[in-house]
Amino acid sequence: MRSAEPRTVQERARQALSDEFLRNAVKFTTERLRAGKQTASQEHGNWEEWRERARQIRLHTIAHLDYYLQEFVENARANGVQVHFADTAEEAAALTMDIAKQCGARSVVKSKSMVSEELHINQALQAGGVEAVETDLGEYIIQLANEPPSHIIIPAIHKNRYQIAELLSKEAGEELPPDTTALAGFVRRKLREKFLEADIGMTGCNFAIAESGSIVLFENEGNARMVTTVPRTQITLMGMERIIPTWDDLEVMATLLPRSATGQKLTVYMSGISGPRRAEDRDGPEQMHLIIVDNGRSLQLGDPHFQELLNCIRCGACLNACPVYRHIGGHAYGSTYSGPIGAVLKPALNKNVAEWDDIANASSLCGACYEACPVKIPLHDMLVYLRQRKVEQGVQSGEEKAGMKGFRYVMSSHKRYGRALRWGRVMQKLLLRDGVIKARIGPLKGWNQHRHTSPLPNKSFREGWQALERDIQRERTEMDEQIRERLHRHLNEREKGGVGDE
Amino acid sequence: MNEESRIKQDRFMQRIADRLGRPRLTEKPPHPHKGAPPDWRRFSLDREERIALFSENWQKAGGHVVRVPDLEAAKTYIAQKAKELGAYAIIRQNQPELNALDWQQALPEAEIVVWHSEQQKDLLRYAAGADIGITMAEYGIAYTGSLVCTSSGNQGRSVSLLPAVVMAILPAERIATRMGEVLAHFDGRPRAQFPAGIHFISGPSRSADIENDLTIGVHGPGVVFALIVG
Repeated sequence: MRSAEPRTVQERARQALSDEFLRNAVKFTTERLRAGKQTASQEHGNWEEWRERARQIRLHTIAHLDYYLQEFVENARANGVQVHFADTAEEAAALTMDIAKQCGARSVVKSKSMVSEELHINQALQAGGVEAVETDLGEYIIQLANEPPSHIIIPAIHKNRYQIAELLSKEAGEELPPDTTALAGFVRRKLREKFLEADIGMTGCNFAIAESGSIVLFENEGNARMVTTVPRTQITLMGMERIIPTWDDLEVMATLLPRSATGQKLTVYMSGISGPRRAEDRDGPEQMHLIIVDNGRSLQLGDPHFQELLNCIRCGACLNACPVYRHIGGHAYGSTYSGPIGAVLKPALNKNVAEWDDIANASSLCGACYEACPVKIPLHDMLVYLRQRKVEQGVQSGEEKAGMKGFRYVMSSHKRYGRALRWGRVMQKLLLRDGVIKARIGPLKGWNQHRHTSPLPNKSFREGWQALERDIQRERTEMDEQIRERLHRHLNEREKGGVGDE
Repeated sequence: MNEESRIKQDRFMQRIADRLGRPRLTEKPPHPHKGAPPDWRRFSLDREERIALFSENWQKAGGHVVRVPDLEAAKTYIAQKAKELGAYAIIRQNQPELNALDWQQALPEAEIVVWHSEQQKDLLRYAAGADIGITMAEYGIAYTGSLVCTSSGNQGRSVSLLPAVVMAILPAERIATRMGEVLAHFDGRPRAQFPAGIHFISGPSRSADIENDLTIGVHGPGVVFALIVG
C-alpha cells in the first residue's frame, strides 16, 4: 500500500479533512445512500419487525454455529466443492496459492470481497507471480491507483472522474475522456478479455445456506456472475460466520441487505451457487474451492459483549449514518473495514490491545450506527467496552491517565471540588478574551481549534442550589393554589353540564 | 489435501463449541424464527396486480416490459427487435417452449446457436460475442421485479449474462408476489435436481462507482427485455 502513511486516526482524519473533493464526495455519497435506505425501508413497511426477525435469525445461527457450519460444509462437499479451513490470513493466502499452483494459474479475476481485502490475497497472489484483477468497477479503479477501498459498498468514493480518466488512460494507452459512459465502456471491453483469459475466478460470500451447501452473492454489475461462470476454477473465500440455515431465511436477508446498502429492492443480480458445474453443464467452474476463514472471528464467540458482532451482514448502513465517517471517509480508519463497524471489528479481530491503534476513539457514541443497523448490532456499546478494555489492560496515554486521576481526586470530595472551582474562576481571568477562552493550550487545544470555550460562571449550580431550592418550594405552593382553584371551577362547570374545555 | 481438511474441520467445529461453552451440537436445533415474519407470508396479490407490480419494478430498474398474448407473438416481437438492432449472432437456451417456435423462419439472416451439452461450438466465446441472448424465465417475483433463471446442460448461465441484449420470456402465471414463494421451490429440493446456478435478475447490469453517476451495462447486458406472456 502507500508508503509514509500517517500513523494515527487523527493524523489521517486531518489529511482527509483538508481534501475538499473527498469531503464533498463522501458527504454526497453517504447522503444518497442514506436517503435511499430511508425511502426503501419506509416503502417496505414494518421495518422494525423485519430488523428484529433478521436479528433473531442471525443470533440463532451464531448460537448454533458449529451445527450449521458443519451442515453447510457436509452439503457443500456432497455438491462437489473442495472445502478448506484457514485459522489465519496467512493460512488462507497459502491455501489460495496452493490451489493456484495446482491448476497452473497465471491469472485470477476477482469480484468484490471484503474478506479478500482483509486477508490481503491480492498481494499474496502477486508475490507468487499470479496476476490478480479486481473486476468490480470501483475496485478495479482503486486497484490501478494502488489504494484500499474507502467504503464497503462504493470503494472508489474518494476518486473523481478526472482522476479515474487519468488512471484508465494509462491502462488503455490512449487518452480517454472524463465521461462516465466512455470510461465504463473501456473497463467493460478490457475486463471481458481478462474474464475469458483467467484461470481462476475468486469471490467472497454474502451468505452461505446450510441446508443445501450453497453460497449466495449480491451484486449489480454482473462481474460476480462472470467470475463464477467463465473461469475453469472458482475459489470462494468465506468468513466462518456467513451462514444462514435455510433458503427461507434468505428472503429476510435479501430484503434487508440491498435496502440497507443502496436502497434497492434487490441488487440486479442475486446468485445462488451450489457446487461446480454439473456433468452436462457447458459453463460454470469445473472445480470449486471454498476457503472458510476464522482470522479472529472465533474470539467473538462466547464473549457477552462482542458475540453479536458476528451478526453483521456487511451492508455499510452504519458508515452512511455515522457523523464521524461522513466527515473523514474510510481511509482515515486505516483498516480494511471502516466506519463504526470497522472501529469495532479491527480491534475485535485483533486480540493484542497494544496494536489497536486509536480507532475505537473515532466515534461520538451517538448510536446512529445502531439505529441504522439492519440486524441491530449495538456498535456504540461495543465501542465503550473496547475503551474500557483498553484502560483495564493499562494501554492508555499518560495524559489520559493523569487526567482521570485528577478528576477522581477533585470529584470525590465536595470541599476539593469547591476549591477547584474557585481557583479556576481566578485563573481563567488570565485567559478570558471577549468573554470566552480562545487559548489553544493543554486540554483545550483540540476544542479551541474550531470553537471557543465558555468561562466558568460566577456561581456554580451547587453554590446556587440553596437559594434555588427555596424558590422552587415557594413557587410550588403558589402554583398549587392556582391549580386547585382552576380545577374546582372546572368541576363545578361540568356538574352544571357545561363544556369543560377552555 | 482432503484428509487434512477433515482434521482441520473437526478442530474448527470443536473450537466453536468450546468458545460457546458447551459440547458440540449433533442434533438439528429448533429454528423458531425461520424465514419472513408470519404476516408477510399472507401477503398475496392477484394475477393482474402481480403483472403490474413486476412491470413497474422492472421498468424502474431500467428494463423494458412487453406484454404479448402467446409465445408466437413473443417470437415475432423478438425477431422484429433483432432486425431493428441489426443483430446477427443470437444464442438461445434449449428449452421446450423455445424449441417449439420456428426461429429460422422468423430470422432468416441471423445465426442462431442453441445452448446444449452436445453443441460443437465454443459456447462461452460465442455467447460473449453474441448480440442477443434468448431465455425462458423459470419464475418471476412481482415485489422485487425479478426474473429467476437456473442452469443446466440445456440452460447456460452465459445466455442471460454475456450478450449485449437479453430477451427473457416470462409466462404470466409464473410470477409470484413474494420472493419467499420462489425460494420455497429450492427449500429442501433433492441434490440430484438442484441446479448449480440459480440467478435472480432484476434489471440491466449497472454501476454507480464513478462519481455516483449511474452507468448501465457494465459487465452484464445493458438492455434487458421481459416479455410477459398471457
